[in-house]
Amino acid sequence: MCVLCGRDFVGVHWTDRHVEDRALLSGPSGDSSGYQRDRRRDRAHRAALTNAVLRHYGLRVEDWGGSKYLLRDRKGRSEIVQDLGALWPAAARLAGRPLDPLDPALRRALSADDDA
Amino acid sequence: MRRAVENGTTRRPLTVVTGFLGSGKTTLLSRVLSEPAMANTAVLVNEFGEVGLDHHLLRRVDERTVLLGGGCVCCTTREDLVVALLDLLDLNQRGEIPHLDRVVVETTGLADPAPILHTVFSDPVLQHHFSVDLVLATVDALNGNLHLDNNPESVKQVAAADKVVVTKTDVAERASVEGLLARLGAINPSAQTFEAALGEVGVEELFRPGHAGTRAAPAVLPAQNSLHDTAETHSVSLTFDGPVDWTAFGIWLSMLLHARGEEVLRVKGMLDVGGAGPVVVNGVQHTIHPPEHLDAWPDADHSSRIVLITKRIPPEDLTGSLRAFGGLLGARPSPLYTQP
Repeated sequence: MCVLCGRDFVGVHWTDRHVEDRALLSGPSGDSSGYQRDRRRDRAHRAALTNAVLRHYGLRVEDWGGSKYLLRDRKGRSEIVQDLGALWPAAARLAGRPLDPLDPALRRALSADDDA
Repeated sequence: MRRAVENGTTRRPLTVVTGFLGSGKTTLLSRVLSEPAMANTAVLVNEFGEVGLDHHLLRRVDERTVLLGGGCVCCTTREDLVVALLDLLDLNQRGEIPHLDRVVVETTGLADPAPILHTVFSDPVLQHHFSVDLVLATVDALNGNLHLDNNPESVKQVAAADKVVVTKTDVAERASVEGLLARLGAINPSAQTFEAALGEVGVEELFRPGHAGTRAAPAVLPAQNSLHDTAETHSVSLTFDGPVDWTAFGIWLSMLLHARGEEVLRVKGMLDVGGAGPVVVNGVQHTIHPPEHLDAWPDADHSSRIVLITKRIPPEDLTGSLRAFGGLLGARPSPLYTQP
């Protein structure tokens, strides 16, 4: 538990697991600047890919200080989320509907992005 | 590498044995536990219904058997499972159980195994000391079809399993055993099936150390493509035409599980993410095993293979969705066929 933000860090979301494993592998004497660089790149990459999906719901996510993600809608409402596990419920709250990868409209929109 | 990741501690494998009421879980366990190789195995039995009958049959486990009071392992007594496992760990570390090689959790017949996995993966202490290496399901050759027809729990158990043991094959007609095996393959193409007459089964194969469960290559049997069970359960086996972006796959799968968690019974496979080895993906409903990035492929086939078992979601929808995400994934999915 982080005393500053009150967030419980016990559970590492499975999509973040490879980052944690890499950190443990390198150990305390490991190349921490290399790890930090990789981690930032991973997070930026994830935000970019997630945005390709989120923009069909009028939402946008950005890396927030390298530890959280900031999710916003076009009305200026925002939520801070820890990981992808928390992102989807928050996105559903902001969008007012569940975000479903099987949704035909989303599939059409993503396919159209590819063709563009 | 695995040890380094775990900071020098080895996690004890935890095996979940599930199966419908009367499908021979206890017979199988009592047979398996009599093997010398299984001597340092602790067994957690759930008392449900009849008074400890199952427990008394498991003679070998005597003091190491921790009875979980208060009903079903999954829903009401997950905390009990935590307490029982912590207790075992404590006894082990104090030297009262000098060797604890493995823990077997036997579920009740009606249990859904997913919450057990969730308990182990999410508990702050247990996740560092135990890893679920294998989910075994027993299916009774005489009544298996009936159970699968009438009880959604039974289908969930088969879908969650890494290995399925068909019991009582000695008293069933050969043709019906074959039919049942085909049906099990249709429900869960990623599971290995075994036959056990009177609880006789190859223990080494069932609990093969280091190769079982999540670390094993999923034995995808794609020969009968677009398999679907007579009920509403579907399974689809897929591959990709190139390396998959792991981050994008994580986005797709976490999104799918959030939207359709109840309807996704199982995800299992190995993904080529462009590294030296694949990523092993293994999920039972909402619960995803910590994905393992392997250093090398387990066999000569270096292509992605993944099995999705769903309830009510048509396989075409999953493939179509992955195809739409193809731009992000960096590869396109295609159904997995075996060469004729």
